[in-house]
Amino acid sequence: MEGEVHAIMGTNGSGKSTLTKVIVGHPDYEVLGGSVTYRGQDLLELEPEMRARAGVFLSFQSPIEIPGVSNIDFLRLALNTKRKHNGQKELDPLEFYGHVMPLLSKLKMNADFLERNVNEGFSGGERKRNEILQLAVLEADLAILDEIDSGLDIDALKDVATAVNGLKRDDSAVLLVTHYKRLLNYIKPDVIHIMEQGRITSSGGMELADILEDQGYQGIKDMRTAQAAAA
Amino acid sequence: MEALLSGRSCCLPGTSQRQEGTWTPAEDKWTQRLLTAFAQVRTVAAPGALQRMQDECTQALRTQRMPTTRNEEYRFTDVSRILQSTPQPASQSPAGLPEAVAAHKLEAAAVQLVVVDGVLNRELSRLGGLPEGVYVGSIGGAPASAAEHLGQQARTRGSPFALINGATAQDAVCIHVPAGMEVPQAVHVLYIATGDANAVTVSCPRLLAVLEERAYLEVLEEFSGAQAEQKYFTNAVAEFVVHQGASLVHKYVQLESNPGWHMKATLVSQAQGSRYALTEAMVGASLARHDLGVAQLGRKTETTMRSFILCGEGQLHDLHSKLRLHHPAGTANQLHKCIVAASSARGVFDGNVKVERAAQQTDAGQLSRNLLLAEKATVNVKPNLQIIADDVKCTHGCAVSDLQEDQLFYFRARGVDPKDARRVLVYSFGAEVTQHLKHPDLMARLEAAVTQTLGDIVAAAD
Repeated sequence: MEGEVHAIMGTNGSGKSTLTKVIVGHPDYEVLGGSVTYRGQDLLELEPEMRARAGVFLSFQSPIEIPGVSNIDFLRLALNTKRKHNGQKELDPLEFYGHVMPLLSKLKMNADFLERNVNEGFSGGERKRNEILQLAVLEADLAILDEIDSGLDIDALKDVATAVNGLKRDDSAVLLVTHYKRLLNYIKPDVIHIMEQGRITSSGGMELADILEDQGYQGIKDMRTAQAAAA
Repeated sequence: MEALLSGRSCCLPGTSQRQEGTWTPAEDKWTQRLLTAFAQVRTVAAPGALQRMQDECTQALRTQRMPTTRNEEYRFTDVSRILQSTPQPASQSPAGLPEAVAAHKLEAAAVQLVVVDGVLNRELSRLGGLPEGVYVGSIGGAPASAAEHLGQQARTRGSPFALINGATAQDAVCIHVPAGMEVPQAVHVLYIATGDANAVTVSCPRLLAVLEERAYLEVLEEFSGAQAEQKYFTNAVAEFVVHQGASLVHKYVQLESNPGWHMKATLVSQAQGSRYALTEAMVGASLARHDLGVAQLGRKTETTMRSFILCGEGQLHDLHSKLRLHHPAGTANQLHKCIVAASSARGVFDGNVKVERAAQQTDAGQLSRNLLLAEKATVNVKPNLQIIADDVKCTHGCAVSDLQEDQLFYFRARGVDPKDARRVLVYSFGAEVTQHLKHPDLMARLEAAVTQTLGDIVAAAD
């Protein structure tokens, strides 16, 4: 799915967030079956930090506070770890500042954001912007955005969506997890998947989001029943 | 008042008479040995306020027993090694002093008081550049309205060690800020213990700061040893009187030599609408304890207490804090963060916040977070809120853990090695408190001391 945007929608508890966490290797989950292949590589064999360095990025639904660590130190540590891994030169604080400032202004974030501690005292919207800032700094290849729209007002949603759209490349991909079509109006998915009880039950285009918007999940079920009957 | 006290001091029995036995000895043998040793080195009559304090505390010590682990307050803090030592007054040996002072600069502009073994050293101090009317110096030259506060709080709310300090302090540093005056630079009080290779020397530094109405002061107490590997005992007391609408920013950094012992009392009284904010870091000394007592004496007072305590190999570090809220609409915020980094180390915290019946609309929060980085590392923590008023907002919490898994994972999810994440998280744990110290020179010294304690331990965890 290089160059594509996929969206996963589903009821609460259908397993959307679990899927995203399993992909990045969250220690709360143990994988008992199945496989995750990323660019021909078995992701499940890699430690979480190696998955991140391979380009997999999860925007957390509830980003973690790290008191005592400034945002700029956190971002620079993450970027330099990746650069070192790729055999690139690490950036000193001044160089990093030059690297991050344009990204910050794209996200309409103040420079004082960098000096604040990671997510500490951030509003819901600030946390989401901060996740996208990390995504931008790390230039991830597979961006998994878990409910990036929750808690955002319409202006913040537009800013975040514009930033995500601007970060898309031909060789990168985006996986959105959301409850609402609203987000998909701004970040247009190529494919929408409906998840139920941990499985993808339907895949299709924007029409799935329209059905959801009008008739809820019952609408999807009716559609499937109708399809089965027709077949 | 001052004249009266001076007169009284002339009439009181001097040093020589005391030794002749007109004076009832203390029941506690160690206390008596200590008092006798200090009486022998006392050469000049103390200024009035100091003499009065010495007499009152000596009197109070007659029946005062020094604490053992049978006392609830000292249950986890065994001070017997201090009480078994042969106390000898520190001699203010000049060796290495200029170097020690040079190594403890703050920024160029700050006023610096250098207190050597409990006595203000004028030659080494820098007292210029203060606004007119602000007094900084020994208690002898202080305005009477400030000097009269010396010993008042410690007498009623101090620990036995604070009484010992009161009876034996050879000097007292006094800072007085008149009404409405703001001292723009921080006043840096640098305490240096000289130590002695052949004996355990004792020094009793004393500080009094009085802020009149609407005054502002930042005072920074830093404790250090002139020689890194010497065993000595620093027994310090600071009293702060914060009048109506005044603000005191207090920073206290304890970087004593590692074998040293350190007892400290901080007593604060806050009048209506005043603010007191403490940021402390306790890193040095093999045995250290801070008794912090704050009394809110008027409406709308604000108290902030932030403490970072690091216990390495063989260290026991104890914070006992008591905050009393007696009046409406006060706020109190306490953050205690303790890292115990070795099996042989122990951290102790007893934080009491008492919201009396009159203290309605109090907003109080207390949080204790403790990080145990080694097997058998120990903390004894007792954060406690006593709430008698019924219309208040109070929160408190306590956590004892290794590093938080979700924080570690957040780093890993961004590609950072677990060992780098661990190192950053351990350092940042304390930084939540220490970043409020704000002075880069001081923070660099603290960081060096923290690195020395943690360096091997964090590396070993890899």
